Amino acid sequence: MHELNRPRSRLLTLPAIVIVAVITQAPILVTIGLSLVQWIVVRPDLGVTFVGLNNYFDILITRDFYSVVLNTALITLASLAACTVLGILFGLMLNQDFRGVSIVRTLVISPFFVMDAVAGIIWRTMMLNSSFGFNESFASLLGIKPVDFFGVYSLLTIIILIVWQWTPFFVLIMLAGFRSISVEIADSARVDGAGWWRELLSIRLPIIMNHIEVAILLGMIFVLKVFGLIYVTTRGGPGYSSANLPFYVFRLAFLGWNVGHAAALAVVTVGITLVAIFFLFRWFRRRFAEASS
Amino acid sequence: MISRARRGRRMLRIAAAWCVAVIWAFPLLYMLLTSFKAEADAVPPTLWLAHPTLQNYGVVLQQQILRYLEDSGIISLATVAICIFVGVPTSYVIVFGRLKRADNLFFWFLSTTLLPPVAMIIPVFLLFRVLGLLDTLGGMILIFSGVNIPIVIWMIRAFLLDVPREILESADLDGASRLRSFFSTIVPLCRQGIVSIGLLVFIFVWNEFFFSINLTYVNAAPVPVYMASFMTQEGLFWAKLSAISTLVILPPSILGWFAQRSLVKGLTAGSVKG
Repeated sequence: MHELNRPRSRLLTLPAIVIVAVITQAPILVTIGLSLVQWIVVRPDLGVTFVGLNNYFDILITRDFYSVVLNTALITLASLAACTVLGILFGLMLNQDFRGVSIVRTLVISPFFVMDAVAGIIWRTMMLNSSFGFNESFASLLGIKPVDFFGVYSLLTIIILIVWQWTPFFVLIMLAGFRSISVEIADSARVDGAGWWRELLSIRLPIIMNHIEVAILLGMIFVLKVFGLIYVTTRGGPGYSSANLPFYVFRLAFLGWNVGHAAALAVVTVGITLVAIFFLFRWFRRRFAEASS
Repeated sequence: MISRARRGRRMLRIAAAWCVAVIWAFPLLYMLLTSFKAEADAVPPTLWLAHPTLQNYGVVLQQQILRYLEDSGIISLATVAICIFVGVPTSYVIVFGRLKRADNLFFWFLSTTLLPPVAMIIPVFLLFRVLGLLDTLGGMILIFSGVNIPIVIWMIRAFLLDVPREILESADLDGASRLRSFFSTIVPLCRQGIVSIGLLVFIFVWNEFFFSINLTYVNAAPVPVYMASFMTQEGLFWAKLSAISTLVILPPSILGWFAQRSLVKGLTAGSVKG
């Protein structure tokens, strides 16, 4: 058995532990501390005072908080559902052999590697702009008014952009799943006379269920953090109608300079994220443990 | 008869695949097209390239973008170097070391990737202000290393688990020291994985928005920050906007094309079979 049993090898893990702990863990503890003080940077006359849980109460009594939580839930659920369905469909589509399939795959996957800032810019200007973009061209072609993507439908716009960017990620994982299905299994299903839909629902999808679950879990982790797309397109507006939790924290911290409120909201965000991930994570851990044993 | 019907269906499926791909990539393809248009032809949108020109690229390359590209390049490359240098040995020890709590250590790293960056931004901002790290390359490299080291540890693990134990054991019998066997056996065997994960970290850092916009202003601002301000100031010059957007998404797109397989392997290995 090849094993590193010298205590010296343990030292190799130290730099990583120190850097990660200092950069990512310590700040979270400080955030918890800051959530208990009143500190408005633009009002130095008020000073920094301990206010206990008041910041949490201040946040929890605003309507904005609940609409932002609802937005976050809607964004997450809607985009994950759409990404999963499209990911499976596109995965099936790319799991065929034909000339040019690698070009098709590259085209489908390309949005994933585009930075949020640019993705937001393209959609905001050339695609969805209601006076000049394709939005307007289509509307005048159909003789209707252009859709107000950055007003009434701002939340939908954010979801569309996330789906556009993250479906490729789902496709990559689903594709890996479909590739892992052996030819014999697919053939035996065909011999049994199973139709395409039956074969998909009762044989192929159950086999790639692991892949689907992993894609959803990772997708959720990323979608809960979405920030750049919102910043560049709707700025969370109008009002807070398309803001998610990270964007709301940003608004409180860097536009309102209310450190206490922002920190309290950040802590609540972590709480919600952890609760959302908790049940999935238990499953996650079990899988890892199984596979590595 | 049957074969003809089957071939017809196959052609249909292939045509559908092409359609979906072109629609999905349409915003990018259209951006590419617009980048070769004269500014006067860019609005309203047409699929016709009346007067193809490279002028937009010439114009945008003369603006400050070069400085931002340089900042992004330095930050990304330095972060990749640190993450690989620190992350790969750590993962090696977690997989092969006889640590008592190797699994716990691994899941601790894993769990840090779950936390939303907003939970750290305020203290990091305050700390950086005190230490004079706001708007510096060093500060950005530091924060991105902290965020990406766990990802390297997580993803390289999949490749380490693939290393046949017999090879390592025979290296042991040869009396190679552990450190030597790391460089003589592990690194060459996982070369592909290490390179692709390096590429992915490069892409993540190059594209990162949240920390960039909150921790930099002018001196160390990477490309995404520039794009956001360009959008605000010159958002109506679509041809220029397209040229500049095309330039900045080119590096991650090319690198991403090479790294896509390893992305899937690194993220899913251990949690899926096969």
